[in-house]
Amino acid sequence: MSELLAVSRYEFRMQARKRSLWLVTLLLGCLLIAIQGDQGPRHLPADTPPAEVMTTWAILLGIVVPLGFGMVLADRLIRDRRLGTTALLESLPVGPGRFLAGKYLGGLAASALPVFLLMLVAGGYESLHRGDPLLLGWTVLVFAVVMLPGLAFVAGFALVCPLVVSAPLFRVLFVGYWFWGNFLGAEILPSLTGTLLTPVGAYPASWLSGQWQMYAGDPGWLSFLRPEPDGLAALSSVLLLVLTGLLPLLVAGLVFNRRRRTTV
Amino acid sequence: MDIQISRLARRFGKVTALHSVDLSIPGGMYGLLGANGAGKTTLMRILAGVLPPGSGQVRVGGHDLTTGAGRLAVQRRLGYLPQDLGLYPDLTPREFLDYVGLLKGLDDTRARRAQVDELLDLVALGEVAGRRMKGFSGGMRRRVGIAQALLGDPTLIVVDEPTAGLDPEERVRFRTLLAGLAGHRTVLLSTHIVEDVAQTCQHTAVMAAGRVVYTGTVADLVRVGEGATWEVVTGVGGPPPAGVVVSAVSRTDGTHYRVVSPTRPGADAVPAAPSLEEGYVALMRRAAAPVPSGSTGR
Repeated sequence: MSELLAVSRYEFRMQARKRSLWLVTLLLGCLLIAIQGDQGPRHLPADTPPAEVMTTWAILLGIVVPLGFGMVLADRLIRDRRLGTTALLESLPVGPGRFLAGKYLGGLAASALPVFLLMLVAGGYESLHRGDPLLLGWTVLVFAVVMLPGLAFVAGFALVCPLVVSAPLFRVLFVGYWFWGNFLGAEILPSLTGTLLTPVGAYPASWLSGQWQMYAGDPGWLSFLRPEPDGLAALSSVLLLVLTGLLPLLVAGLVFNRRRRTTV
Repeated sequence: MDIQISRLARRFGKVTALHSVDLSIPGGMYGLLGANGAGKTTLMRILAGVLPPGSGQVRVGGHDLTTGAGRLAVQRRLGYLPQDLGLYPDLTPREFLDYVGLLKGLDDTRARRAQVDELLDLVALGEVAGRRMKGFSGGMRRRVGIAQALLGDPTLIVVDEPTAGLDPEERVRFRTLLAGLAGHRTVLLSTHIVEDVAQTCQHTAVMAAGRVVYTGTVADLVRVGEGATWEVVTGVGGPPPAGVVVSAVSRTDGTHYRVVSPTRPGADAVPAAPSLEEGYVALMRRAAAPVPSGSTGR
Protein backbone atom coordinates (compact mmCIF):
# COMPACT_ATOMS: atom_id res chain seq x y z
CA MET A 1 0.00 0.00 0.00
CA SER A 2 2.79 2.42 0.87
CA GLU A 3 4.39 1.79 -2.55
CA LEU A 4 1.09 2.60 -4.26
CA LEU A 5 0.82 5.83 -2.29
CA ALA A 6 4.45 6.67 -3.07
CA VAL A 7 3.98 6.22 -6.83
CA SER A 8 0.71 8.18 -6.71
CA ARG A 9 2.26 10.97 -4.67
CA TYR A 10 5.30 11.44 -6.88
CA GLU A 11 3.35 10.97 -10.09
CA PHE A 12 0.96 13.66 -8.87
CA ARG A 13 3.86 15.95 -8.01
CA MET A 14 5.62 15.50 -11.35
CA GLN A 15 2.46 15.89 -13.41
CA ALA A 16 1.30 18.93 -11.42
CA ARG A 17 4.66 20.59 -12.19
CA LYS A 18 4.08 20.21 -15.91
CA ARG A 19 3.50 23.71 -17.24
CA SER A 20 1.61 22.49 -20.32
CA LEU A 21 -1.04 20.92 -18.09
CA TRP A 22 -2.02 24.29 -16.67
CA LEU A 23 -1.59 26.23 -19.90
CA VAL A 24 -3.68 23.86 -22.01
CA THR A 25 -6.52 23.74 -19.47
CA LEU A 26 -6.50 27.49 -18.98
CA LEU A 27 -6.44 28.24 -22.70
CA LEU A 28 -9.20 25.79 -23.58
CA GLY A 29 -11.30 26.93 -20.62
CA CYS A 30 -10.94 30.61 -21.51
CA LEU A 31 -11.74 29.85 -25.15
CA LEU A 32 -14.98 28.07 -24.19
CA ILE A 33 -16.02 30.79 -21.77
CA ALA A 34 -15.39 33.43 -24.42
CA ILE A 35 -17.34 31.69 -27.19
CA GLN A 36 -20.15 30.14 -25.18
CA GLY A 37 -22.78 32.31 -26.89
CA ASP A 38 -26.32 33.01 -25.74
CA GLN A 39 -26.98 29.39 -24.79
CA GLY A 40 -24.03 29.29 -22.39
CA PRO A 41 -24.32 29.04 -18.61
CA ARG A 42 -23.55 32.72 -18.07
CA HIS A 43 -26.79 33.61 -19.82
CA LEU A 44 -29.09 31.28 -17.91
CA PRO A 45 -32.00 33.10 -16.23
CA ALA A 46 -31.53 34.21 -12.64
CA ASP A 47 -34.05 31.68 -11.32
CA THR A 48 -32.31 28.66 -12.91
CA PRO A 49 -31.80 25.91 -10.31
CA PRO A 50 -28.17 25.70 -9.09
CA ALA A 51 -27.79 22.09 -10.27
CA GLU A 52 -28.70 23.10 -13.79
CA VAL A 53 -26.35 26.09 -13.72
CA MET A 54 -23.38 23.97 -12.72
CA THR A 55 -24.17 20.99 -14.99
CA THR A 56 -24.38 23.46 -17.88
CA TRP A 57 -20.90 24.68 -16.93
CA ALA A 58 -19.67 21.09 -16.71
CA ILE A 59 -21.06 20.29 -20.14
CA LEU A 60 -19.61 23.49 -21.59
CA LEU A 61 -16.12 22.83 -20.19
CA GLY A 62 -16.49 19.15 -21.08
CA ILE A 63 -16.64 19.98 -24.78
CA VAL A 64 -12.88 20.36 -25.16
CA VAL A 65 -11.15 20.65 -21.77
CA PRO A 66 -10.90 16.83 -21.42
CA LEU A 67 -9.07 16.83 -24.77
CA GLY A 68 -6.22 18.72 -23.13
CA PHE A 69 -6.47 16.41 -20.14
CA GLY A 70 -6.02 13.31 -22.32
CA MET A 71 -3.19 14.86 -24.30
CA VAL A 72 -1.08 15.80 -21.30
CA LEU A 73 -1.59 12.35 -19.78
CA ALA A 74 -0.53 10.55 -22.94
CA ASP A 75 3.19 10.53 -22.13
CA ARG A 76 3.03 9.46 -18.47
CA LEU A 77 3.84 5.78 -18.98
CA ILE A 78 6.05 6.05 -22.03
CA ARG A 79 8.16 8.80 -20.54
CA ASP A 80 9.83 6.38 -18.10
CA ARG A 81 11.25 4.57 -21.11
CA ARG A 82 12.19 7.86 -22.78
CA LEU A 83 13.91 9.22 -19.68
CA GLY A 84 15.70 5.93 -18.96
CA THR A 85 14.20 5.27 -15.53
CA THR A 86 12.51 1.98 -16.45
CA ALA A 87 15.45 -0.31 -15.58
CA LEU A 88 15.81 1.25 -12.14
CA LEU A 89 12.08 1.13 -11.42
CA GLU A 90 11.91 -2.52 -12.49
CA SER A 91 14.77 -3.38 -10.15
CA LEU A 92 12.77 -2.17 -7.14
CA PRO A 93 10.63 -4.57 -5.12
CA VAL A 94 7.35 -3.22 -6.48
CA GLY A 95 5.16 -5.13 -8.93
CA PRO A 96 4.04 -3.56 -12.22
CA GLY A 97 0.41 -3.56 -11.07
CA ARG A 98 1.15 -1.13 -8.25
CA PHE A 99 3.19 1.07 -10.55
CA LEU A 100 0.35 1.26 -13.03
CA ALA A 101 -2.23 1.91 -10.34
CA GLY A 102 -0.06 4.61 -8.77
CA LYS A 103 0.61 6.26 -12.11
CA TYR A 104 -3.10 6.18 -12.88
CA LEU A 105 -4.22 7.65 -9.56
CA GLY A 106 -1.48 10.29 -9.36
CA GLY A 107 -1.76 11.25 -13.02
CA LEU A 108 -5.55 11.41 -12.87
CA ALA A 109 -5.55 13.52 -9.71
CA ALA A 110 -2.93 15.97 -10.98
CA SER A 111 -4.46 16.32 -14.44
CA ALA A 112 -7.98 16.71 -13.05
CA LEU A 113 -6.84 19.41 -10.62
CA PRO A 114 -6.81 22.33 -13.12
CA VAL A 115 -10.18 21.19 -14.49
CA PHE A 116 -11.55 21.20 -10.94
CA LEU A 117 -10.07 24.63 -10.29
CA LEU A 118 -11.65 25.90 -13.50
CA MET A 119 -15.00 24.60 -12.31
CA LEU A 120 -14.41 26.25 -8.92
CA VAL A 121 -13.76 29.57 -10.62
CA ALA A 122 -17.00 29.15 -12.59
CA GLY A 123 -18.82 28.13 -9.39
CA GLY A 124 -17.35 31.08 -7.50
CA TYR A 125 -18.42 33.47 -10.24
CA GLU A 126 -21.96 32.05 -10.32
CA SER A 127 -22.12 32.04 -6.55
CA LEU A 128 -21.31 35.76 -6.43
CA HIS A 129 -23.37 36.63 -9.49
CA ARG A 130 -26.50 34.80 -8.30
CA GLY A 131 -25.93 35.42 -4.59
CA ASP A 132 -26.16 31.72 -3.74
CA PRO A 133 -23.21 30.27 -1.78
CA LEU A 134 -24.69 26.77 -2.19
CA LEU A 135 -23.57 26.90 -5.80
CA LEU A 136 -20.05 26.14 -4.57
CA GLY A 137 -21.29 22.88 -3.06
CA TRP A 138 -23.03 22.05 -6.33
CA THR A 139 -19.76 22.76 -8.13
CA VAL A 140 -17.98 20.04 -6.18
CA LEU A 141 -20.83 17.58 -6.60
CA VAL A 142 -21.21 18.22 -10.32
CA PHE A 143 -17.46 17.91 -10.86
CA ALA A 144 -17.38 14.59 -8.97
CA VAL A 145 -20.43 13.07 -10.64
CA VAL A 146 -20.48 14.58 -14.13
CA MET A 147 -16.84 15.30 -15.01
CA LEU A 148 -14.62 13.01 -12.95
CA PRO A 149 -15.94 9.63 -14.22
CA GLY A 150 -15.33 10.76 -17.80
CA LEU A 151 -11.85 11.98 -16.90
CA ALA A 152 -11.12 8.63 -15.20
CA PHE A 153 -12.30 6.87 -18.36
CA VAL A 154 -10.05 9.02 -20.52
CA ALA A 155 -7.08 8.63 -18.12
CA GLY A 156 -7.00 4.82 -18.40
CA PHE A 157 -6.84 4.92 -22.19
CA ALA A 158 -4.52 7.94 -22.35
CA LEU A 159 -1.97 6.18 -20.16
CA VAL A 160 -1.99 2.81 -21.88
CA CYS A 161 -2.76 3.43 -25.57
CA PRO A 162 0.52 5.29 -26.26
CA LEU A 163 2.33 2.06 -25.33
CA VAL A 164 0.72 0.49 -28.39
CA VAL A 165 0.45 3.40 -30.82
CA SER A 166 2.76 6.41 -30.59
CA ALA A 167 1.73 9.31 -28.35
CA PRO A 168 1.26 11.75 -31.28
CA LEU A 169 -0.91 9.22 -33.14
CA PHE A 170 -2.90 8.57 -29.98
CA ARG A 171 -3.54 12.30 -29.61
CA VAL A 172 -4.86 12.57 -33.17
CA LEU A 173 -7.08 9.50 -32.73
CA PHE A 174 -8.26 10.78 -29.36
CA VAL A 175 -9.50 14.06 -30.86
CA GLY A 176 -11.47 12.10 -33.46
CA TYR A 177 -12.85 9.77 -30.83
CA TRP A 178 -13.83 12.63 -28.51
CA PHE A 179 -16.11 14.32 -31.02
CA TRP A 180 -17.43 11.01 -32.39
CA GLY A 181 -18.16 9.59 -28.91
CA ASN A 182 -19.67 12.70 -27.37
CA PHE A 183 -21.14 15.05 -29.89
CA LEU A 184 -21.90 13.24 -33.15
CA GLY A 185 -25.66 12.66 -33.12
CA ALA A 186 -26.94 9.18 -33.92
CA GLU A 187 -28.84 10.56 -36.92
CA ILE A 188 -25.54 11.42 -38.62
CA LEU A 189 -23.41 8.33 -37.89
CA PRO A 190 -23.58 5.37 -35.47
CA SER A 191 -21.65 6.56 -32.44
CA LEU A 192 -21.38 6.33 -28.65
CA THR A 193 -22.94 9.79 -28.30
CA GLY A 194 -25.89 9.72 -25.90
CA THR A 195 -25.01 6.32 -24.42
CA LEU A 196 -24.01 5.39 -20.87
CA LEU A 197 -20.43 5.41 -22.17
CA THR A 198 -20.47 9.09 -23.12
CA PRO A 199 -17.54 10.50 -21.12
CA VAL A 200 -18.81 14.08 -21.25
CA GLY A 201 -21.27 12.94 -18.57
CA ALA A 202 -24.61 13.24 -20.37
CA TYR A 203 -26.47 10.86 -18.05
CA PRO A 204 -25.30 12.21 -14.66
CA ALA A 205 -25.80 15.76 -15.97
CA SER A 206 -29.34 14.93 -17.11
CA TRP A 207 -30.15 13.34 -13.76
CA LEU A 208 -28.74 16.18 -11.66
CA SER A 209 -30.25 18.99 -13.72
CA GLY A 210 -33.54 17.30 -14.47
CA GLN A 211 -33.03 18.26 -18.13
CA TRP A 212 -32.01 15.96 -20.97
CA GLN A 213 -28.44 16.84 -21.78
CA MET A 214 -26.23 16.00 -24.74
CA TYR A 215 -28.43 13.43 -26.50
CA ALA A 216 -28.63 11.22 -23.36
CA GLY A 217 -30.91 8.27 -24.15
CA ASP A 218 -31.56 9.35 -27.76
CA PRO A 219 -32.49 6.36 -29.91
CA GLY A 220 -29.66 4.96 -31.98
CA TRP A 221 -26.87 2.42 -32.24
CA LEU A 222 -26.36 0.13 -29.17
CA SER A 223 -29.84 0.76 -27.81
CA PHE A 224 -29.13 -1.26 -24.62
CA LEU A 225 -26.71 1.52 -23.64
CA ARG A 226 -29.42 4.19 -24.05
CA PRO A 227 -31.88 3.90 -21.16
CA GLU A 228 -34.09 6.77 -20.02
CA PRO A 229 -31.94 9.22 -18.04
CA ASP A 230 -32.70 8.75 -14.34
CA GLY A 231 -30.74 8.15 -11.13
CA LEU A 232 -30.06 4.49 -11.86
CA ALA A 233 -28.93 5.25 -15.40
CA ALA A 234 -26.66 8.01 -14.07
CA LEU A 235 -25.12 5.62 -11.54
CA SER A 236 -24.71 2.96 -14.25
CA SER A 237 -23.00 5.50 -16.47
CA VAL A 238 -20.59 6.56 -13.71
CA LEU A 239 -19.68 2.95 -12.87
CA LEU A 240 -19.41 1.91 -16.50
CA LEU A 241 -17.12 4.82 -17.34
CA VAL A 242 -14.83 4.23 -14.36
CA LEU A 243 -14.67 0.45 -14.88
CA THR A 244 -14.15 0.73 -18.64
CA GLY A 245 -11.31 3.18 -17.96
CA LEU A 246 -9.69 0.58 -15.73
CA LEU A 247 -9.78 -2.08 -18.45
CA PRO A 248 -6.70 -0.91 -20.39
CA LEU A 249 -4.80 -0.73 -17.11
CA LEU A 250 -5.80 -4.27 -16.28
CA VAL A 251 -4.66 -5.51 -19.68
CA ALA A 252 -1.38 -3.58 -19.41
CA GLY A 253 -0.80 -4.99 -15.92
CA LEU A 254 -1.31 -8.54 -17.17
CA VAL A 255 1.05 -7.96 -20.09
CA PHE A 256 3.76 -6.42 -17.85
CA ASN A 257 3.46 -9.26 -15.35
CA ARG A 258 3.66 -11.85 -18.08
CA ARG A 259 6.68 -10.13 -19.62
CA ARG A 260 8.51 -10.19 -16.29
CA ARG A 261 7.86 -13.90 -15.94
CA THR A 262 8.57 -14.89 -19.53
CA THR A 263 11.95 -16.51 -19.74
CA VAL A 264 12.87 -16.59 -23.41
CA MET B 1 25.95 -12.12 -0.47
CA ASP B 2 27.45 -14.64 -2.85
CA ILE B 3 26.22 -15.17 -6.40
CA GLN B 4 26.17 -18.57 -8.09
CA ILE B 5 25.40 -18.70 -11.79
CA SER B 6 25.23 -21.95 -13.66
CA ARG B 7 24.55 -22.59 -17.34
CA LEU B 8 22.77 -19.25 -17.66
CA ALA B 9 21.57 -18.44 -21.17
CA ARG B 10 19.47 -15.57 -22.49
CA ARG B 11 18.23 -14.88 -25.97
CA PHE B 12 16.54 -11.86 -27.50
CA GLY B 13 14.75 -13.19 -30.54
CA LYS B 14 17.43 -14.73 -32.73
CA VAL B 15 20.28 -13.06 -30.87
CA THR B 16 21.90 -15.01 -28.05
CA ALA B 17 23.19 -12.54 -25.47
CA LEU B 18 24.44 -15.11 -22.95
CA HIS B 19 25.72 -18.60 -23.78
CA SER B 20 25.69 -21.01 -20.86
CA VAL B 21 27.43 -18.72 -18.40
CA ASP B 22 28.95 -20.25 -15.26
CA LEU B 23 30.20 -17.83 -12.64
CA SER B 24 30.74 -17.76 -8.91
CA ILE B 25 31.00 -14.33 -7.29
CA PRO B 26 32.09 -14.08 -3.67
CA GLY B 27 31.55 -11.08 -1.37
CA GLY B 28 33.59 -7.87 -1.74
CA MET B 29 34.32 -5.91 -4.87
CA TYR B 30 34.15 -7.92 -8.09
CA GLY B 31 34.88 -6.65 -11.58
CA LEU B 32 33.14 -7.74 -14.74
CA LEU B 33 35.12 -6.72 -17.79
CA GLY B 34 34.22 -6.97 -21.42
CA ALA B 35 33.82 -5.03 -24.61
CA ASN B 36 30.54 -3.36 -25.50
CA GLY B 37 28.08 -6.05 -26.54
CA ALA B 38 29.83 -8.78 -24.56
CA GLY B 39 26.69 -9.54 -22.54
CA LYS B 40 27.61 -7.70 -19.33
CA THR B 41 24.50 -5.54 -19.21
CA THR B 42 22.23 -8.52 -19.86
CA LEU B 43 23.89 -10.34 -16.96
CA MET B 44 23.56 -7.26 -14.71
CA ARG B 45 19.90 -6.88 -15.62
CA ILE B 46 19.24 -10.51 -14.79
CA LEU B 47 21.00 -10.14 -11.43
CA ALA B 48 18.93 -7.03 -10.72
CA GLY B 49 15.72 -8.92 -11.44
CA VAL B 50 14.88 -6.66 -14.37
CA LEU B 51 15.17 -9.50 -16.90
CA PRO B 52 14.15 -13.08 -16.22
CA PRO B 53 16.87 -15.65 -16.97
CA GLY B 54 16.32 -17.62 -20.17
CA SER B 55 17.57 -20.95 -18.87
CA GLY B 56 20.00 -22.13 -16.23
CA GLN B 57 20.27 -21.27 -12.56
CA VAL B 58 21.02 -17.99 -10.81
CA ARG B 59 21.16 -17.93 -7.03
CA VAL B 60 21.88 -14.73 -5.14
CA GLY B 61 22.40 -15.10 -1.41
CA GLY B 62 20.60 -18.44 -1.67
CA HIS B 63 17.58 -16.96 -3.49
CA ASP B 64 16.61 -18.44 -6.83
CA LEU B 65 16.27 -15.65 -9.39
CA THR B 66 14.22 -17.82 -11.73
CA THR B 67 11.26 -17.50 -9.34
CA GLY B 68 9.22 -14.40 -8.60
CA ALA B 69 9.68 -14.83 -4.85
CA GLY B 70 13.44 -15.16 -5.28
CA ARG B 71 13.60 -12.04 -7.45
CA LEU B 72 11.62 -10.06 -4.90
CA ALA B 73 13.83 -11.25 -2.03
CA VAL B 74 16.96 -10.17 -3.90
CA GLN B 75 15.46 -6.84 -4.94
CA ARG B 76 14.80 -6.04 -1.28
CA ARG B 77 18.56 -6.26 -0.62
CA LEU B 78 19.73 -4.76 -3.88
CA GLY B 79 21.20 -1.43 -4.88
CA TYR B 80 21.26 -1.13 -8.67
CA LEU B 81 22.78 1.53 -10.85
CA PRO B 82 21.77 0.77 -14.44
CA GLN B 83 23.79 1.79 -17.43
CA ASP B 84 22.57 5.22 -18.65
CA LEU B 85 20.31 5.82 -15.67
CA GLY B 86 17.76 8.50 -16.44
CA LEU B 87 16.38 10.84 -13.82
CA TYR B 88 13.13 12.76 -13.55
CA PRO B 89 14.04 16.33 -14.53
CA ASP B 90 11.08 17.71 -12.58
CA LEU B 91 12.25 16.28 -9.25
CA THR B 92 15.08 17.38 -6.98
CA PRO B 93 17.72 14.82 -5.92
CA ARG B 94 16.19 14.81 -2.45
CA GLU B 95 12.73 14.05 -3.84
CA PHE B 96 14.07 11.41 -6.23
CA LEU B 97 15.89 9.61 -3.44
CA ASP B 98 12.85 9.88 -1.20
CA TYR B 99 10.74 8.32 -3.97
CA VAL B 100 13.18 5.43 -4.50
CA GLY B 101 13.45 5.00 -0.72
CA LEU B 102 9.69 4.66 -0.42
CA LEU B 103 9.67 2.09 -3.21
CA LYS B 104 12.44 0.19 -1.44
CA GLY B 105 10.15 -0.05 1.55
CA LEU B 106 11.80 2.55 3.80
CA ASP B 107 8.55 3.54 5.48
CA ASP B 108 9.92 5.41 8.50
CA THR B 109 9.76 8.98 7.20
CA ARG B 110 12.26 10.50 9.61
CA ALA B 111 14.84 7.73 9.14
CA ARG B 112 14.39 7.80 5.35
CA ARG B 113 14.86 11.56 5.15
CA ALA B 114 17.93 11.39 7.37
CA GLN B 115 19.43 8.68 5.16
CA VAL B 116 18.65 10.62 1.99
CA ASP B 117 20.44 13.71 3.32
CA GLU B 118 23.38 11.62 4.53
CA LEU B 119 23.78 9.96 1.12
CA LEU B 120 23.50 13.25 -0.73
CA ASP B 121 26.31 14.59 1.44
CA LEU B 122 28.33 11.41 0.78
CA VAL B 123 28.15 11.96 -2.98
CA ALA B 124 28.76 15.71 -2.56
CA LEU B 125 25.31 16.77 -3.72
CA GLY B 126 24.13 18.22 -0.42
CA GLU B 127 24.30 21.77 -1.74
CA VAL B 128 22.04 21.06 -4.71
CA ALA B 129 19.69 18.68 -2.90
CA GLY B 130 16.76 21.05 -3.37
CA ARG B 131 17.45 21.95 -7.01
CA ARG B 132 15.54 20.22 -9.80
CA MET B 133 17.71 17.75 -11.72
CA LYS B 134 17.02 19.27 -15.12
CA GLY B 135 20.40 20.47 -16.33
CA PHE B 136 22.51 18.30 -14.02
CA SER B 137 25.86 17.29 -15.54
CA GLY B 138 26.71 13.66 -16.31
CA GLY B 139 28.82 13.43 -13.16
CA MET B 140 26.05 14.83 -10.97
CA ARG B 141 23.57 12.39 -12.46
CA ARG B 142 25.88 9.45 -11.77
CA ARG B 143 26.25 10.63 -8.20
CA VAL B 144 22.48 10.75 -7.79
CA GLY B 145 22.48 7.26 -9.28
CA ILE B 146 24.97 5.85 -6.79
CA ALA B 147 23.20 7.58 -3.90
CA GLN B 148 19.90 5.92 -4.80
CA ALA B 149 21.68 2.58 -5.15
CA LEU B 150 22.93 2.89 -1.57
CA LEU B 151 19.52 3.63 -0.09
CA GLY B 152 18.38 1.04 2.41
CA ASP B 153 21.93 -0.18 3.06
CA PRO B 154 21.81 -2.95 0.40
CA THR B 155 23.98 -6.05 0.77
CA LEU B 156 24.35 -6.42 -3.00
CA ILE B 157 25.28 -3.47 -5.19
CA VAL B 158 25.24 -3.88 -8.94
CA VAL B 159 26.70 -1.02 -10.95
CA ASP B 160 26.73 -1.11 -14.72
CA GLU B 161 29.31 1.05 -16.51
CA PRO B 162 29.23 3.67 -13.75
CA THR B 163 32.24 5.69 -14.87
CA ALA B 164 31.64 5.86 -18.62
CA GLY B 165 31.63 9.49 -19.71
CA LEU B 166 32.98 10.87 -16.43
CA ASP B 167 35.99 13.15 -16.33
CA PRO B 168 39.16 11.69 -14.71
CA GLU B 169 38.64 13.40 -11.36
CA GLU B 170 35.02 12.26 -11.12
CA ARG B 171 36.04 8.75 -12.12
CA VAL B 172 38.68 8.51 -9.40
CA ARG B 173 36.23 9.84 -6.81
CA PHE B 174 33.59 7.39 -7.95
CA ARG B 175 35.96 4.42 -7.86
CA THR B 176 37.12 5.34 -4.37
CA LEU B 177 33.54 5.60 -3.21
CA LEU B 178 32.65 2.19 -4.63
CA ALA B 179 35.73 0.50 -3.21
CA GLY B 180 34.91 1.94 0.21
CA LEU B 181 31.46 0.37 0.09
CA ALA B 182 32.65 -3.16 -0.54
CA GLY B 183 33.66 -3.93 3.05
CA HIS B 184 30.61 -5.89 4.15
CA ARG B 185 28.81 -6.01 0.83
CA THR B 186 29.08 -7.57 -2.58
CA VAL B 187 29.75 -4.87 -5.14
CA LEU B 188 29.58 -6.01 -8.74
CA LEU B 189 31.22 -3.52 -11.07
CA SER B 190 30.57 -4.03 -14.75
CA THR B 191 32.74 -1.97 -17.05
CA HIS B 192 34.70 -1.91 -20.26
CA ILE B 193 37.25 0.41 -18.65
CA VAL B 194 40.11 -1.84 -17.50
CA GLU B 195 41.58 0.83 -15.27
CA ASP B 196 38.45 0.87 -13.08
CA VAL B 197 38.89 -2.81 -12.29
CA ALA B 198 42.66 -2.49 -11.87
CA GLN B 199 42.18 0.18 -9.21
CA THR B 200 39.35 -1.37 -7.22
CA CYS B 201 38.96 -5.15 -7.60
CA GLN B 202 40.90 -8.19 -6.45
CA HIS B 203 38.78 -10.61 -8.45
CA THR B 204 37.33 -10.27 -11.88
CA ALA B 205 35.60 -12.06 -14.71
CA VAL B 206 35.95 -11.24 -18.38
CA MET B 207 33.15 -11.69 -20.88
CA ALA B 208 33.32 -11.87 -24.65
CA ALA B 209 30.47 -12.56 -27.07
CA GLY B 210 28.12 -13.71 -24.32
CA ARG B 211 30.60 -16.08 -22.70
CA VAL B 212 32.78 -15.87 -19.61
CA VAL B 213 36.32 -16.26 -20.90
CA TYR B 214 38.19 -15.63 -17.65
CA THR B 215 37.56 -15.77 -13.92
CA GLY B 216 40.25 -15.24 -11.33
CA THR B 217 42.32 -12.59 -9.66
CA VAL B 218 43.28 -9.35 -11.32
CA ALA B 219 46.95 -10.26 -10.76
CA ASP B 220 46.48 -13.49 -12.72
CA LEU B 221 44.78 -11.60 -15.52
CA VAL B 222 47.86 -9.38 -15.73
CA ARG B 223 50.00 -12.52 -16.04
CA VAL B 224 48.03 -13.60 -19.12
CA GLY B 225 49.98 -10.89 -20.91
CA GLU B 226 53.36 -12.26 -19.89
CA GLY B 227 55.39 -13.35 -22.89
CA ALA B 228 52.94 -11.58 -25.17
CA THR B 229 53.72 -7.93 -24.34
CA TRP B 230 56.38 -6.10 -26.27
CA GLU B 231 57.87 -2.68 -26.58
CA VAL B 232 58.88 -1.51 -30.02
CA VAL B 233 60.54 1.80 -30.88
CA THR B 234 60.28 3.02 -34.45
CA GLY B 235 62.05 6.07 -35.82
CA VAL B 236 59.91 6.58 -38.88
CA GLY B 237 56.98 4.77 -40.36
CA GLY B 238 53.94 3.25 -38.72
CA PRO B 239 53.42 0.74 -35.94
CA PRO B 240 54.76 -2.83 -36.17
CA PRO B 241 52.76 -4.98 -38.57
CA ALA B 242 51.97 -7.78 -36.11
CA GLY B 243 49.97 -7.68 -32.87
CA VAL B 244 47.65 -5.17 -31.19
CA VAL B 245 49.08 -1.76 -30.35
CA VAL B 246 47.97 -0.91 -26.82
CA SER B 247 49.75 2.42 -26.55
CA ALA B 248 51.93 4.71 -28.61
CA VAL B 249 54.02 7.50 -27.09
CA SER B 250 56.03 9.83 -29.24
CA ARG B 251 59.46 10.71 -27.79
CA THR B 252 62.64 12.29 -29.13
CA ASP B 253 64.14 8.91 -30.06
CA GLY B 254 61.03 7.79 -31.93
CA THR B 255 57.59 6.39 -31.20
CA HIS B 256 57.40 3.85 -28.38
CA TYR B 257 54.74 1.25 -29.06
CA ARG B 258 53.48 -1.30 -26.56
CA VAL B 259 52.21 -4.26 -28.49
CA VAL B 260 50.40 -7.43 -27.52
CA SER B 261 51.34 -10.31 -29.78
CA PRO B 262 51.88 -14.02 -29.21
CA THR B 263 55.03 -13.80 -31.33
CA ARG B 264 57.78 -11.17 -31.44
CA PRO B 265 56.26 -8.40 -33.58
CA GLY B 266 59.58 -7.25 -35.03
CA ALA B 267 63.33 -7.73 -34.82
CA ASP B 268 63.67 -4.75 -32.47
CA ALA B 269 60.82 -5.74 -30.18
CA VAL B 270 61.76 -6.12 -26.50
CA PRO B 271 59.69 -8.16 -24.02
CA ALA B 272 57.92 -5.92 -21.49
CA ALA B 273 56.14 -6.46 -18.17
CA PRO B 274 52.39 -6.45 -18.90
CA SER B 275 49.80 -4.17 -17.36
CA LEU B 276 46.21 -5.28 -16.69
CA GLU B 277 45.14 -3.73 -19.96
CA GLU B 278 47.74 -5.77 -21.83
CA GLY B 279 46.75 -8.93 -19.97
CA TYR B 280 43.15 -8.21 -20.95
CA VAL B 281 44.03 -7.63 -24.60
CA ALA B 282 46.11 -10.83 -24.68
CA LEU B 283 43.17 -12.72 -23.20
CA MET B 284 40.72 -11.27 -25.72
CA ARG B 285 43.02 -12.21 -28.59
CA ARG B 286 43.30 -15.68 -27.22
CA ALA B 287 39.52 -15.89 -26.78
CA ALA B 288 38.99 -14.78 -30.35
CA ALA B 289 41.44 -17.38 -31.69
CA PRO B 290 40.18 -20.87 -32.61
CA VAL B 291 40.18 -23.03 -29.48
CA PRO B 292 42.40 -26.13 -29.77
CA SER B 293 40.65 -29.36 -28.89
CA GLY B 294 40.88 -30.20 -25.18
CA SER B 295 41.21 -26.56 -24.08
CA THR B 296 38.47 -24.89 -21.98
CA GLY B 297 39.31 -21.41 -23.16
CA ARG B 298 39.81 -20.16 -19.59
